[in-house]
Amino acid sequence: MTRSGSRIVMEALVRHGVDTIFGYPGGVVLPLYDEMLNWPTVRHVLVRHEQCAAHMADGYARATGKVGVCLATSGPGATNLVTGIATAMMDSIPMVALTGQVATPAIGKDAFQETDIQGITIPITKHNYLVTDVADLPWVLEEAFFLASTGRKGPVLVDIPKDVFIAETDADATPATPRRGYRLPGPPSEDQVREAARLIAEAHRPVIIAGAGVLHSESWDLLAEFARKADIPVANSLLGLGSFPREHELSLGMLGMHGEAASTMAVQHADLVLGIGIRFDDRLTGKTSGFAPRAKIVHFDIDPSEVGKTVSPVCFVIGDLKQSLAALLPLVEPKSHTEWRSQIREWQRRYPLVVPEDGRLLARHVLRALNEHTEGRAIVSTDVGQHQMWAAQFYKFREPRQWLSSGGLGTMGYGVPAAVGAKFARPDREVWAVVGDGGFQMTLQELQTIRDHNVDVKICLINNGYLGMVRQWQELFYDNRYSHVAMGNPNYAKLAEAYGIPFVQCTRRDDVDGAFERARSIRGPALAEFVVEMEENVFPMVGPGASNDAVIMDPALQAEVPVEARR
Amino acid sequence: MRDRQIKEHTIIALLQNEAGTLNRLVSLFRRRGFSLASLNAGDCEQPGYSRCTMVVTADDRELRQILQQLEKLIDVVEVEDIPPIRSIRRELALIRVDVASGQRSEVLEIVGVLGGKVVHLTQKSITVEFTDEPYKIDQLIHMLEPYGIGEIVRTGLVAMKADTPSASN
Repeated sequence: MTRSGSRIVMEALVRHGVDTIFGYPGGVVLPLYDEMLNWPTVRHVLVRHEQCAAHMADGYARATGKVGVCLATSGPGATNLVTGIATAMMDSIPMVALTGQVATPAIGKDAFQETDIQGITIPITKHNYLVTDVADLPWVLEEAFFLASTGRKGPVLVDIPKDVFIAETDADATPATPRRGYRLPGPPSEDQVREAARLIAEAHRPVIIAGAGVLHSESWDLLAEFARKADIPVANSLLGLGSFPREHELSLGMLGMHGEAASTMAVQHADLVLGIGIRFDDRLTGKTSGFAPRAKIVHFDIDPSEVGKTVSPVCFVIGDLKQSLAALLPLVEPKSHTEWRSQIREWQRRYPLVVPEDGRLLARHVLRALNEHTEGRAIVSTDVGQHQMWAAQFYKFREPRQWLSSGGLGTMGYGVPAAVGAKFARPDREVWAVVGDGGFQMTLQELQTIRDHNVDVKICLINNGYLGMVRQWQELFYDNRYSHVAMGNPNYAKLAEAYGIPFVQCTRRDDVDGAFERARSIRGPALAEFVVEMEENVFPMVGPGASNDAVIMDPALQAEVPVEARR
Repeated sequence: MRDRQIKEHTIIALLQNEAGTLNRLVSLFRRRGFSLASLNAGDCEQPGYSRCTMVVTADDRELRQILQQLEKLIDVVEVEDIPPIRSIRRELALIRVDVASGQRSEVLEIVGVLGGKVVHLTQKSITVEFTDEPYKIDQLIHMLEPYGIGEIVRTGLVAMKADTPSASN
């Protein structure tokens, strides 16, 4: 039976269990939008800007592990997806982005709303396609979902010209040529696993750094079992938060530029660092030559190209983490590192996260209260900047897939749409978007999408009137010369009212709990604005380009002590 | 221990032909800052695939990155860094020498000695076709320079691993 290209797209969505797509119509996708009306099981969420369609698909994917799908028309619709696709690429998020293209005879003629989205997205997709023959569409879509969701996951873009949506074919999903250039990782090398086990047995001061790879591979239970059995403390990369429960006695919290001091110190003093599903990025390692100077590094990852990219491991185990950790577990002897762990506890006691109580309303009060009120059980998304780091520091994630944040690309404006995507995916969960006044103003048009669907997300707006993180850098590294970081803000009460969204405002320290109670008592969406101290800094901090030995402690601790000095 | 020395390497890749394949490959080099000295691609013995020769300069760590990043491309089937020994390496050059009539025989002699072939002649120029290892082409160009080189077109390297002798050998 012949089917149109549009029908083939809808069938593929249904076959892959896609219940929600995020999109925006336009000229060349009209045939698909028409077909869509025949498929009531696939919910279409109309966004107000295509960037947010991609972020919503991303939030949907992070909250579930499923492939998120976004859809845009050609030209500006497609280019508006770019930031969202790049965000997903950097963080290895499974996504299929569908774009319309001008009809095949018009391609290359600078037709109205024509853009070379395949060319544009080559560096920011795992793979992409321009489908010029409808007979290729079935296998391309099949492969797009397969590539997005297997191996090291990532976004895949399929560009479909208008006439291909309309053309009919009876082709099935068998590709013209079998795909030989894509191999899923095989089982881990036994030798390398044995070597890793030997290094673990020899270590006196081991630390695990667990990253998002643990979440992508769903190997968090194996990680917990391994950490417990070998008695190894677990630090998390920013995106690894949730892969190991923060309240676990072996959890060190976040590592990196704004990681907890004890976590950084543990890695700097470790004799063995086990990087599990991380890519040792610069925000984690600081200056690589000064990273974990006493440690042998063992790297577990699915992607061989990550091995040796920034640091030089002595041993690496390539493969799906589920297989690698399962192979490692029986080779690991139960151990206890009493002395090492008491040393770390001492660091934790001496260098805790500080939350001053001097009457001012600080962002830290808000983030700590968010954790307390939601008992660490909410799905939390963020934008990028100070509020993101405070959320990472103060929110005690209990489970995987609670944490949605743009780690690699650092995309402001991600928080609100990601929260919306997550809420559509997991309507049973409480969802909070923590955003700053800078990022919120980049994507706040989605308040209307929230209103349209009555999406029950709560927005925690940390309003300090600045691009806080940039201001902090200008304060610390540019001699207090504030250049274009002051943020004018609209009247958020009126803004919320205009969108028909309940509004809560908090301007005093003693009203934080009250504000959360008011916001959480609202059924449906709410915007909670916290007007906080303008010049609050995130500590601890490792300066840009500095070694992790040079942790700048919170001045409130009255001690700026490089690790080296207290060896 | 790690060899930090920057060396020239020849990489052979088997590509599945798709819209954008070469674009993807070149884009990878550009965006990761790898240096690509030459790139050649053409049909091969397998329909629907092409084989491509790349010359890159890199230290060992970077070379490993290049190979692994190439390997990750979905339309790259195989990638191999082939050693200079036990491989067959050829480049083709077209060289036009704008030579004064009095020196014509000298040019023809040089071209003849090095094994080049005259493919076009005019009263004011000799155009030579020369196929050999790239360093030999450099040599010929060097020898012809004094006579006045009008134009050079080089293909860049193509290379193949030499077949190994049979097991009974």
